[in-house]
Amino acid sequence: MSKTFTRYFTIADFEEEEKWLRDQHKNGWKLVKMVTPCFYTFEQCEPEDVIYRLDYRNTENKDEYFKMLRDFGWEYVGECVGWFYFRKPAAEIESEEDGELLSDNESRAEQVGLILRTRLAPLALIFLCCVMPNFLKVLDGEYIGTWGKIYSLFFSLMFAVYVYLIAHCGLKLKQIKKRYDI
Amino acid sequence: MEEKLRRIYVPMTESGFYILFCLQTPNHGYGISQAVKQMTGGSVNISAGTMYGTLSKMETDGLIKFFSEEDKRKLYVITGLGREILDLEIKRIERLYKNSKGENINE
Repeated sequence: MSKTFTRYFTIADFEEEEKWLRDQHKNGWKLVKMVTPCFYTFEQCEPEDVIYRLDYRNTENKDEYFKMLRDFGWEYVGECVGWFYFRKPAAEIESEEDGELLSDNESRAEQVGLILRTRLAPLALIFLCCVMPNFLKVLDGEYIGTWGKIYSLFFSLMFAVYVYLIAHCGLKLKQIKKRYDI
Repeated sequence: MEEKLRRIYVPMTESGFYILFCLQTPNHGYGISQAVKQMTGGSVNISAGTMYGTLSKMETDGLIKFFSEEDKRKLYVITGLGREILDLEIKRIERLYKNSKGENINE
């Protein structure tokens, strides 16, 4: 039996997502696939404590990457917009580093930097070049008529969503950086 | 040697040092992690993603190169440039060690 869940995690909520997936597995639902932006398909399984880890990476040589992760005991679950999902039973974990994908601050800093550059920066760019100018037009009352109202509503909504996303992700990533002192 | 590489790799991260040190003998990612674990008595454990990322970066920078493929695993080995950087790093660590014991360096 399988089920599909809808749950949205931003690019900065990967630690919450890992925990949520682990909880699902504990309840007897293992992740089968993700479809962007927020659909997760699970399959019924024996309840087990399984650690999930998400790795954000730009890799050209996926075969080598998966093979190496497999050697370290990580089962590849799937890929979703640059994020790679892996899992490993908690019982097989021998040390703290064995339960993590990244074990030093340099690689953590690199990952957060990559998320900032390739995900948050484009979001900020769209906001500045498209959402913001249109929202200013809405404020100036430039959109009139029925379509004008629809445009106004759309761009106001986009403005709110973008402000929330950028603020939330920016703060969250900053917290992660602070926690690891990177 | 390029000044830029020297700035990036000297001093090196602990994982970076052990990985480069181990690649004096050809090895693959998981093999390196096991070797490091053994030689440090379990004090240094390198996670999978950090291992993969460090190997990719070192290969791009020319410190290590592809050696052979074994059972679909890529084996790497240190290059001449990697050797130069490793020697610099070992010299730096020896200085630290001597100074930490209260000895001065007379060169």
